[in-house]
Amino acid sequence: MENSRALLEDNGVRIAAASYDSEAVLRKFSDEHRIGYALLSDSDSSVIRSFKILNTNIAPGMRSYGVPHPVGYLVSSGGVVLKKYFVPNYQHRVTGSEVALLELGVRTSGGGERLTSGPLTVEVVLSSDRAFAGQELGVRAAFELEPGWHLYGQPVPPGCSPVAIRFESASVIEQSFEFPRPRLAKLGTLDGTLPVYEGKFEALGKLLLKFPIDAGGIELEGTLSFQLCSDTVCEAPDSLKFTLSVVIEPFMVPRPRR
Amino acid sequence: MATDIPSDLEAKAEIMREFMRLRAAGKPVPPELYAKHVNATNDNYKTGPAAGERIPEFALPDQYGARRSLGNLSGPKGLLLVFHRSADW
Repeated sequence: MENSRALLEDNGVRIAAASYDSEAVLRKFSDEHRIGYALLSDSDSSVIRSFKILNTNIAPGMRSYGVPHPVGYLVSSGGVVLKKYFVPNYQHRVTGSEVALLELGVRTSGGGERLTSGPLTVEVVLSSDRAFAGQELGVRAAFELEPGWHLYGQPVPPGCSPVAIRFESASVIEQSFEFPRPRLAKLGTLDGTLPVYEGKFEALGKLLLKFPIDAGGIELEGTLSFQLCSDTVCEAPDSLKFTLSVVIEPFMVPRPRR
Repeated sequence: MATDIPSDLEAKAEIMREFMRLRAAGKPVPPELYAKHVNATNDNYKTGPAAGERIPEFALPDQYGARRSLGNLSGPKGLLLVFHRSADW
């Protein structure tokens, strides 16, 4: 998180991390790892309880009793939750680079690929070029269409193909994409309207990587499917394959306490 | 992935203890046990306030003993507040 702090701070968002550790433990961790953001000590887990995220799987008496479920919140300066992040593998929290890419539109270190088909250009970018197995990655797809052309949103009648992105890689176990709300357009001589995208727009997605994955470089293959139509012609439904590279960090178990 | 999670606390605790025993002994933790451990500890997870809701007010000491709340933590565009397990283990 320290690595992407500048990305967020430059864009007006600050970081804080809360745990049930004592101030002394946090001070030591902060000094050892040169942490530049606030580490908050909720030593009796009272704030964790007030957020209703106490992990009730832990039996009282165990060392980890009182821990929270690992949740991240992006909140406004007034305290309203803008986004919430939960990654099942507790060793990996939401990453700063994912927030920077998805929420702030900041260009991050992740690999990307530029796809073109006639009047359509799409740039698909990952939030980071490195990840741990079990971690979540952000994806942003920036679309640009030449004037006079559109893609379909949802829902569309049979025969029309809406724009969609899907990762086929076996390393991706969950994925979701959010497209903006399409415009309802009356097209040509058609009765009624159809949902369309024109000009520039962005889709934002999340990928959850499986666990475990062997360390090293992997390729995440995906498909962009779409149908290009202008005011006068509609091309056949089409698709473009793309591949995004990410390096999987070695499987790590925290070192035992001395 | 999360299909074989025992429902009672003691069975969950046994998975966690086995994980900790191996770790304390400096032995490698098999990925299967690790996955079970993660699943057992995250079962029935709760994620607190939803998008659009307000977070509870809080005031906690930071690593330098200063009292911190949303007002003196947030940047102009907001705060990324992350809850995590422990910086110690």
